[in-house]
Amino acid sequence: MTDHTTLTGGLTRRRFLQGTALTGAAAFLAACSTSGGSAAPAEPGASAGDGAATGPLQFANWDAYIDLTEVGDGEYDLPSPTLDDFTAETGIEVEYANAQIEDNESFMATIRPQLESGVATGWDLIVLTDWMAGKVVEAGWVEELDPANVATALANVRDELKGLPWDPDMKFHYPWQSGATGVGYNSVSTGRELTKVADLFDPAFAGKVTLLSETRDMFPLVHLALQGLGQASDTPAEDMTADDAQVVHDYLKPFVDDGHVRAFTGNEYLQDFGSGDTWAAMVWSGDLASSAGENDVFVYPEEGSMIWTDNMIIPKGAEHKAAAEQMVDFVYDVARAARLANFIYYISPVKGVADAITELDPEAASNPLLFPPADVVAKQHPQPTWDEAAETTVNELYADLSGV
Amino acid sequence: MTRRRWLLPYLLIAPGLLWLALFFVLPNIQMVLMSLSSGTIRSGFEFSWAFENYVEAFTRFPDNVVNSLVFGGLATLLCFLIGYPMAYGIAFRGGRYKTLLLFLVIAPFFTSFLIRTISWRIILGDQGVFLSLVRDTLGIVPPNFSIIGTPLAVVSGLTYQYLPFMVLPLYVALEKIDYRLIEAARDLYAGPWRRGGAITGAFGGGFLAAALMLGLRYASLDAESLVPLLLAVAAGAAIGAVVGSFLISEAFVRVIWPLSLPGVFAGSILVFIPTLGDYVNVELLGNPQTQMIGNVIQNRFLQQNDYPLAAALSFILMAAILVAIIVYARVLGTEELTGGRG
Repeated sequence: MTDHTTLTGGLTRRRFLQGTALTGAAAFLAACSTSGGSAAPAEPGASAGDGAATGPLQFANWDAYIDLTEVGDGEYDLPSPTLDDFTAETGIEVEYANAQIEDNESFMATIRPQLESGVATGWDLIVLTDWMAGKVVEAGWVEELDPANVATALANVRDELKGLPWDPDMKFHYPWQSGATGVGYNSVSTGRELTKVADLFDPAFAGKVTLLSETRDMFPLVHLALQGLGQASDTPAEDMTADDAQVVHDYLKPFVDDGHVRAFTGNEYLQDFGSGDTWAAMVWSGDLASSAGENDVFVYPEEGSMIWTDNMIIPKGAEHKAAAEQMVDFVYDVARAARLANFIYYISPVKGVADAITELDPEAASNPLLFPPADVVAKQHPQPTWDEAAETTVNELYADLSGV
Repeated sequence: MTRRRWLLPYLLIAPGLLWLALFFVLPNIQMVLMSLSSGTIRSGFEFSWAFENYVEAFTRFPDNVVNSLVFGGLATLLCFLIGYPMAYGIAFRGGRYKTLLLFLVIAPFFTSFLIRTISWRIILGDQGVFLSLVRDTLGIVPPNFSIIGTPLAVVSGLTYQYLPFMVLPLYVALEKIDYRLIEAARDLYAGPWRRGGAITGAFGGGFLAAALMLGLRYASLDAESLVPLLLAVAAGAAIGAVVGSFLISEAFVRVIWPLSLPGVFAGSILVFIPTLGDYVNVELLGNPQTQMIGNVIQNRFLQQNDYPLAAALSFILMAAILVAIIVYARVLGTEELTGGRG
């Protein structure tokens, strides 16, 4: 492959691993308790505050998804300049729960009971991937955004991100970032360059491989790999069916049974790269460059990659709705969006960010994480949309693979 | 006032009863109703006498049940082997440091359960302290040896987490023993018990070696792993014999051990039951082959949103534990469970 597949060098920043592990623990705790595990639920009556925005804003996000402050030589940690600027400008405190969300399903499991029974979740702003955000919006579990409060966002959101079937008029959500799902590896441990999803199944990496627990990433990526090997149907990854998922399951099962695939993870693969227990994995595009070691590399696999968008939404009953709207609007400022994207290496949903980033950092213009090259884009697939029956089948296949 | 005396005990247990009714009985009734329901999360669950949930719960997850029993059993055994000498030392040799030592036993509880488990991920990791010592410095294990993602990691984690639950009841039982009984035994010629101790130790060591080799899946019951298995049993028996002949005295066998049995029973129950249902250690330290029944329940509730099957599994687990305890109590007498002997 060409140079753009190997994304290391000056780009890499290392986060304090311990901090990541601990916030990961908090997320895990939340995932294990259906009672919310976060801030105390607010009175539903106190929700949807009109008038002045007050804090503290309870903001749940994924790991490696916010800019950080340099705390030492190449070491970065919270607080985040973006969030600090927000507080300085608006006077609203932000309680940012980093790594609170490790995958869509397990995070939703922590707030679904509250949403179902109509009590506040304790969160004011959460970030969910398209398919899950769509479900939540369709279930009516979100607060409607006041257009007057998100004028910048409406003006600046990229046109191709508008008009989604589940929210055509941007009434309920604004994208946070877009990114890809591909292959990550530690070049020292693997001792070679990886270019394909199929490389994950190299016997040399037995026991050092993890796949994603996000079924809409994991099944399509392996489907692409099997297409490359001539072992799967020609169905495009975005249209893959439960039958295709069965083929993927049957291919993966022996690799799971003999221990080649050690685990199915969310963002916690970052810790496993840090501890050396993972050499190669399915990962999300910007994470390794912003938060892993200098030998941890992301590649857009030759077979193709998945493309998705994560969206900010305000869960029903949020206590600080106005503050959440201000945050949505705040991060849609072009200069701020450029700084954020250039730190976390994801694709900004804001118009004009490309120019702003190039101005900020001329080298970044050639960064394929921020600006995927045409040959990569041509092979990118949106995540599949499954009906309830297909989703149940796929979830069962996943449960069987993960041993439960 | 005196006529009202009969009311007092009821008043005293009323808060506890109310608490149990609200937070134990009601949720359990709801769980039983859910376990007999059918439907999906989107269409809603409806009560329908769906006994097939129980059939599915019983038949579908044999591997996870075996994992739970094996890992829970091994952790209990290891907790006992580590905890008994510890409790013995604190009770008989602790002197004025007893309180401090007991405090140290429970000190880990001052840190969050999750943080402790995640710390083990780092300590036992491929670049962690432990492997860099035994693999790189001492060279005891091969270079590609890993711990994270193996049964060894899971059992180690469980043993670590539940050790205090074994030590405390053992300490209570041992501490109560009247030392004059031991002196009396010695006066009556209960001296060192070389041959008996060696034999007991050899059997114990051999059994432990076999249980660890098989339970941690370093060997299986086939011809291929017969030789390493026999070697391990022989080594375990030899070590056990040496340790047994030095440590097991006749006074211990005749006086201390029988008097400490209530603590052994209480400790083993307190360790075995929670380890059976544990899922955090597996989630953080295991791999897809080590998933226990607790992980299945968690997955059904949180990932699959299959509440009825999850409820059926939870109910079966609870009922099985309850039956086991009733049998245990009937066989050994209830006072064994509380460690009390009046």
